[in-house]
Amino acid sequence: MTFLRVENLKVYYPVRGGFFRRVIDHVKAVDDITLDLQPGETYGLVGESGCGKTTTGRTIIGLNKATAGKIIFNDIDLTRLKRRQFHKYRKDIQMIFQDPYSSLNPKKRVIDIIAEPIRNFEKLSPKEERRKVQDLMEKVGLSPDSIFKYPHEFSGGQRQRIGIARALTVNPKIIIADEPVSALDVSVQAQVLNFMKDIQKEYNLTYLFISHDLGIVRHMSDRIGIMYKGRLVEEGTKENIFNQPKHIYTKRLLAAIPDVNPEKRDEHLLMRKEVNEEFERNYEKYFDAEGKIFDLKKISDTHSVALP
Amino acid sequence: MGKPLLQINNLKTSFRIGDEFYAAVDDVSLTVNENEVVAIVGESGCGKSALALSIMGLHHELNTKLEGEILFQNKNLLSLSTNELNNIRGKDMGMIFQDPLTALNPLMRIGDQIEETMKNHYNLSKEEMKKRTLELLNKVGIPNPERTYMQYPHELSGGMRQRVVIAIAIACEPKLLIADEPTTALDVTIQAQILDLMRELQNQMKTGIILITHDLGVVAEMADRVAVMYAGEIVEIADVFTLFNNPLHPYTRSLFNSVPSAADGDRLHVIQGIVPSLKKLPRTGCRFSERIPWIKKEAHEENPKLREVEKNHWVRCTCYQHFDFPKDAEDLHYDIS
Repeated sequence: MTFLRVENLKVYYPVRGGFFRRVIDHVKAVDDITLDLQPGETYGLVGESGCGKTTTGRTIIGLNKATAGKIIFNDIDLTRLKRRQFHKYRKDIQMIFQDPYSSLNPKKRVIDIIAEPIRNFEKLSPKEERRKVQDLMEKVGLSPDSIFKYPHEFSGGQRQRIGIARALTVNPKIIIADEPVSALDVSVQAQVLNFMKDIQKEYNLTYLFISHDLGIVRHMSDRIGIMYKGRLVEEGTKENIFNQPKHIYTKRLLAAIPDVNPEKRDEHLLMRKEVNEEFERNYEKYFDAEGKIFDLKKISDTHSVALP
Repeated sequence: MGKPLLQINNLKTSFRIGDEFYAAVDDVSLTVNENEVVAIVGESGCGKSALALSIMGLHHELNTKLEGEILFQNKNLLSLSTNELNNIRGKDMGMIFQDPLTALNPLMRIGDQIEETMKNHYNLSKEEMKKRTLELLNKVGIPNPERTYMQYPHELSGGMRQRVVIAIAIACEPKLLIADEPTTALDVTIQAQILDLMRELQNQMKTGIILITHDLGVVAEMADRVAVMYAGEIVEIADVFTLFNNPLHPYTRSLFNSVPSAADGDRLHVIQGIVPSLKKLPRTGCRFSERIPWIKKEAHEENPKLREVEKNHWVRCTCYQHFDFPKDAEDLHYDIS
């Protein structure tokens, strides 16, 4: 049984123009992506802004429409379902959004924010509902007494934990975390990341962890996929990606991260320069005539690279 | 190391909230030498941007109170009139802002924006200015200066915009450059290019740079000296190698341990509690004491001052001697008052 499989997913946006505003071209936000998620693992999806990583996440949860391809969850293709049928599966896949300042409704109290998924999927009496919300608040490390407060009364890290509590209410199996900590300070970041690891163990959650920060992805993920221009360029375990990167784009991305050891500064700069030169010199080796990325090919059990 | 370029002595920047003034930058003393990169590190709200804006004199006059001294080329910036300050700002001191989209005027062509600073400080003819502007655009690595000269900011990508912002900052060849989170809004590969560019320009022009950032990786790559700020105060200053090898102050150590790429082990360290707001900031004693409650009161000084613990390594408060991380870190607390 496949747990979650994204198969040849394509998300194209039409570009209109000319006579009668016909469709003249497409923006290929996601262009033929295939990935498999195993239960209980964290899959890190990395790439620069505009590479299609967020679109992939949003399409899995149903916020964007797939142009082609399948999203198979427990052997059912979610892209073929009607709206009402899809409702059943919404509960199993939840999302943590990037910006805790704009993803919580400022006019709602915390209890209403967290209880909203419960109200959609379960019928609970107000008393039960309140108890459940308070339990969740405690779980995410917030005082159960503060359920009648409004989002603005909380700090950034606390808000992000409210967002996590909301995602947890209906016992999801998969959580799509779209840059969950990039709006937060380092120490608050640490708190949220630790907490995400804790609840993963507790609920046996599967994460699709979308981020541009390779340091954080390395810390969180079991497997990593590197995206560039709407396609995957390399996929493998954390060790595969960080110790034996094969694609030039992966190497370039890794070389761009500043090294936290000031003594290796010059060495690192030299390495970065070499990788950048190689990127320009061997461009044809890694990209086809139209500048498109090749299809992924397996080079070991866990490691795939987009090479001709 | 060159001679001192900027000397800040006991700077205190206070903002008005209601009828009271609250200090966001408190007792900060810092020297920047020629051809030196000084990094200021800290979390949001620690006063690092407030410090930068104080040096540039960009705070609102009525709502801010500045005390102390900011000596730049032996002139105290705080005692100058706006006119005198305008002769220095943009010419001898340049600033790179964090967000390149909001720092540029969306209605002005790139060329005009760069020439604006030159117009204020130099007496150049139109042709000369254009020539210089094109040179500048070339210098910051913009591929087609002639075209970019006529473009508007929205036509450029984030990295290109930040290059334009840098071009404006260095248009008059400043001696001091203040970069406030210059790469935070950018992707890593673009960040690497911008940092390379800043390093190159520094080598060419021997500028002193104040680099404000929260990214320890950027600090490790760029800085000569590092000042760590917490709650408006500098808690530790040292050269970059000393600070990364032997961080002493509890805040510095906590910061290092909470960054995934620098921390060792599976769990990240979480600093307890939250940064106190300006109004609630304790004005006496060690400001970090509240966030390391397992350290005894006696370990802190009553009135902590920066002290030189080894050569050129300054640390505030004595609590660092007694500090250690708790064994079984319980990192979720009820942190709502």
